[in-house]
Amino acid sequence: MKNCLDIGIIQSFLDGELASGEVTRVSDHIGDCDSCAMLLSQAEDENAVVFPALAREFDAMVPTQRLWARIEDSIETEKASAPWWEKAYAVFVTLINPQVGAFAALLIVVGLFAMYKLSGPSSPGDRAGLISKAANAPTIVNVDRPAPAALSGPDSSTISAPSRTYSRPTVENASYSVPSRKPSPSTNNDQQPTVIRDASYVPGEESYVKTIASLNKSVGDQDPNVMSASQQVSYARNMAVVDDTIKRMRSAVKKDPKSETAKQMLSSAYQNKIDLLNSVAQKEDLVASLK
Amino acid sequence: MTHIFQKFILAVLAAAITGSFSLGVAAQATPKPEPTAKPKIKTQPPDAGVPPPPARHDYKYKYSRGGTYEKAIAVAPNINLTLCVTEGNLRINSWNRSEVRVYVEGGPKFAFKVVDKGPDGRPVWISAMNLQATPGVNAECIWGETVEVDAPAGTSLKLTGKEINAQVDGMRKVNVKTVGGDISLRNIKEGVSAYAGEGGVTVEESWGQVNLETTNGNIVVVDSGPSDIGDTFRAKTNSGAVSLTRVTHRALDVSSISGSVLFNGEIKSGGTYTFGTTNGTIRLALPSATGCKLAATFRSGSFASELPFKIETMNVAPGDLKSIVAKLGGGGDAVLRLSAFAGLIGIKKQ
Repeated sequence: MKNCLDIGIIQSFLDGELASGEVTRVSDHIGDCDSCAMLLSQAEDENAVVFPALAREFDAMVPTQRLWARIEDSIETEKASAPWWEKAYAVFVTLINPQVGAFAALLIVVGLFAMYKLSGPSSPGDRAGLISKAANAPTIVNVDRPAPAALSGPDSSTISAPSRTYSRPTVENASYSVPSRKPSPSTNNDQQPTVIRDASYVPGEESYVKTIASLNKSVGDQDPNVMSASQQVSYARNMAVVDDTIKRMRSAVKKDPKSETAKQMLSSAYQNKIDLLNSVAQKEDLVASLK
Repeated sequence: MTHIFQKFILAVLAAAITGSFSLGVAAQATPKPEPTAKPKIKTQPPDAGVPPPPARHDYKYKYSRGGTYEKAIAVAPNINLTLCVTEGNLRINSWNRSEVRVYVEGGPKFAFKVVDKGPDGRPVWISAMNLQATPGVNAECIWGETVEVDAPAGTSLKLTGKEINAQVDGMRKVNVKTVGGDISLRNIKEGVSAYAGEGGVTVEESWGQVNLETTNGNIVVVDSGPSDIGDTFRAKTNSGAVSLTRVTHRALDVSSISGSVLFNGEIKSGGTYTFGTTNGTIRLALPSATGCKLAATFRSGSFASELPFKIETMNVAPGDLKSIVAKLGGGGDAVLRLSAFAGLIGIKKQ
């Protein structure tokens, strides 16, 4: 076949480095091209040998992170184990810094001045004002007191009740945030194959499609962090491969509805898709059970 | 009274102003470097006293908060052992004692929980409990740099793991599920069920019903067969390869989506062997005297066999789904189904 794929593209396809459109194109081409399928299988075999050997290297934690973690831990430990007089001395040393001391003194001066100004009037006019205020003082006290009494009295339940009813909209708001998450699964679903949208099912296909739709929904609602980045790439690639198979087998069955082989392959492809979706759900369940 | 209070305030104010001026004057002087360097913590270099970073796969630092603990419990010869290990290297071995021993290095304190006892009062079902579990964390899960378990050879093990490398040797029955890490099982007598979310599964010299599944890893099986009539073998991976050597079950169902399937063994009479891959290769190495019914399906790719086969029906029109139904060797009552959507199918002599 002309325009065979470069080995670099095939390797990128295996490594999941291609864009989703490109993955579909490569997958289509490999489906039609024997020599490219051969190249793919050779590359897979090589990967099967190389990746397990390097898996530990890929998964290993970066030493710098560990080093920093250790340094921070040891500093924290030392801080925690330091005696109180050392901590007090450190605070004192910080305070005797001239700039800090000057600033603190300035603050003291400003504070004292403010206290002086607020503590009482110095002029006779102000004193008169104070006397007039003192004359009105009982009225002010009477106004202020009923409020705390109302809070602690029998009316307090009336006050707290609105606060309870007020808290309900908050809960509703929280539940309202759930639908806002739903667009993301539906976006995922948009990336899924077009099989579900096609109403003209071949015999026996409908039950598979329904099962896949429900699984798609449950998988889309799940925590995306369950799968690692490499697993997500692998999942997307496998899904593209399975969808391509389903698409081709559907057309084969429609072309020759009596072909039992094509029907079996279609069923097998659907089953692969269900298994693929189930594997994600199974992992999610397992992670949840270990929390 | 007010007059005295005003005088007092003024005095304090004057003292504060004087103090602030004196401190301000002191601030004009050359700053001494000592105060900033004084605290003991700062004077040490960042890594002084800190041991050097561990080697790449040394988990000692990670688990340094844990201790070393060992416990043993007398049990019945055939017990159910339920174990949950979240992290670490796990080794489970069998011995000829009616006793379970658990050794944890760099992990939490633990205790045995007796779930059920037999008529003689000895435990028949036990599990390990983490005594230092923080609230909100599954208290039935232990962890450690190394977790070693010795259990009677008649143990039926149910193991759940998060990020563990598990090696199990010599149990009666094993059921393992891990989120990440490799699973290695050996010398299991009456059945294996293993699921690795992200890791490989290796099974050696294990018998009985076998059910293996992994998402991203490879499945390798060497020397396996039924322990009872009707025991089946199932292996499934999404992205990895499946390699089977000397697997003697009569019912095999092996599939991979984008990996290859390799089988090196015998086709037993009356058996049903199903090997499928969507985007990989199927390679079989069979004895030259093999006889069975063969049904091969492929779309792109090809079918090649070193063993003689007699075609019964064949459809190999270009661009269409190709299928071959044939008698391999002299034929027989075993059925071999091969399906590779976009890969090669090859049969060669052993």
